[in-house]
Amino acid sequence: MERQTKICLLLLVISTIFILYALVFTIPIWLVYVISIFFIPLWILSLGLITMAKPREEDKEARVEEPFTGY
Amino acid sequence: MYLMADILINVIIAFLAGSLLLGLHRKIMARVQLRPGPPVIQYLLHSLKFFFKESSFPKTASMPFYVSIIFILAVVWIVGVIVGPVTENSLLIIFAVYAIYKIVEHNAGSSSGSPYGKMSCVRAVLSAATELPLFAAIALIYFKTGTLNISGILMYQSIHGPLISSIPLAAVMLFTLLLTKSPYSPFAITKGKDLVTGFETEHFGFLRGFLMMSESIAWYVMLWLFLVLFFGPISIIWLVIGMVLISVITGFINATTPMLNPNHSVMTQITICFVCFVGTIVMIFI
Amino acid sequence: MSFEVLGGNLLGTIPFGDIVLYLTPFNLFMFVVLLIFTFLIAVSKTETQVEASLVKLENTNKNVGKKEFHQRRFLAVICGIASAGAMITGDLFDFTLFMALVGILNIGIVSAVRQVSVLNSAFHYGLIAMMCSLPLFGGAAIILAATGTLSLDILSTMHTTPMIIFGALLMLIGVIGESGVAPFFATKAEMFRTPGSPFIIIIHLSSLFIIIRAVEIFLLVLM
Repeated sequence: MERQTKICLLLLVISTIFILYALVFTIPIWLVYVISIFFIPLWILSLGLITMAKPREEDKEARVEEPFTGY
Repeated sequence: MYLMADILINVIIAFLAGSLLLGLHRKIMARVQLRPGPPVIQYLLHSLKFFFKESSFPKTASMPFYVSIIFILAVVWIVGVIVGPVTENSLLIIFAVYAIYKIVEHNAGSSSGSPYGKMSCVRAVLSAATELPLFAAIALIYFKTGTLNISGILMYQSIHGPLISSIPLAAVMLFTLLLTKSPYSPFAITKGKDLVTGFETEHFGFLRGFLMMSESIAWYVMLWLFLVLFFGPISIIWLVIGMVLISVITGFINATTPMLNPNHSVMTQITICFVCFVGTIVMIFI
Repeated sequence: MSFEVLGGNLLGTIPFGDIVLYLTPFNLFMFVVLLIFTFLIAVSKTETQVEASLVKLENTNKNVGKKEFHQRRFLAVICGIASAGAMITGDLFDFTLFMALVGILNIGIVSAVRQVSVLNSAFHYGLIAMMCSLPLFGGAAIILAATGTLSLDILSTMHTTPMIIFGALLMLIGVIGESGVAPFFATKAEMFRTPGSPFIIIIHLSSLFIIIRAVEIFLLVLM
């Protein structure tokens, strides 16, 4: 999960930079729309992937192999 | 620069206000059922709490759709905020946003492979019939005002008075739509408790928090739309009062009605749509 | 009424001779969303549907086989592209053509499945789609005969005659049947129980979006 954390951190930083860029500089309106529509959810998504708790190693397989039928 | 700040502020307000309104809704439902109920801030706290929980991605899930469909929900409701409160653009885009919400219900259910999600997915297809009241309401607004641009509709209402007095049945149709989207509604067949939580069942941890966030933004945007389309350009105080009132009314309705069987739910909504549409046509031409 | 009143200001047109594609914020939004979904479908794996088995304490897993996966993915991607085309098209001929193509593809996407209930449902839906292709193309032909044009740009400025209303109503019946919305969606619901979530989503998505586009087109033509 180290690699996942690094990628998400990178995405978080990129989203923050783009959002700040749109906030600080005057850019064409269509670009503001594109940045806000795409990078605000990406910011939240990457933040979530970083803050989410990780399962213990011995439980990891059981969580993912989860049978929906309840046994 | 100001536009981006406008969008960010509106998204944050939509999230906070939507969460508090949904919390209020749940509180009202509990009180009607003679229970104390959770605090009003509970929905907001849950949305944030989920970001720190363990999020497992089932082995059987269809990647990357399983994660990206939740991302798409957030994207479309941010488009809804931009088209609604920020720029007051075309109503048809909101119609498209609502249709994509249906698609998200469909795919969030089927992408995990769970039987509960699969059933919710099929019910989401049936519940697409609820687009009919929305379509009929939009068509009636178009006949009455001659435009589908929200700012144009506002301008019409500032001259001719609010639309609630001239096409009240269209307001009833849009209210039915709001009712469908409210929690524990009689028409909420995709999220019924007989399917655990329907399409949300197998989205855990931060994906669930993300989903709750998007749904609170959705609730705010839809309430804003209802108030603005039928009551005209009203001040912020009246907007707040209106949103609280609608959440309270839907809370009362949801607390006292059971969830309808999927076929009955669709039939009820189509009947309401038909009666209101014909009634409004009669009112306009007679 | 013009495009601006319905979809927001006209962002541009792409003229291919007589066939003119046009872009308003509304059309562009639908077009982009469909392309994004098509891309996601092209790169997605399918899910494994898990159910409890009878008699045993195990699970039954239903997967999409490799050959079936390739066939269905191809059809799903084409369906996505066809729907995207229907979003920005500026004339009735292309719209009805894309609509008919989407109807055929919707059946094709589930035809590779081996579940009898799904195939039955697809068959019934196919019957209705075939029957409704008559009013669909007939309505467009009547509008062409009554006005001399299929271009939405010109039709939106023309005065509405009873013949245009009749043609538009026929087209509406055709679109309702081909895309399988209420009341014909009751036949389609069973089709969605099969595994292969990315492929069945395009069935739902294309139908919904084409209905929304049809709403815009009819409002343009009739008002």
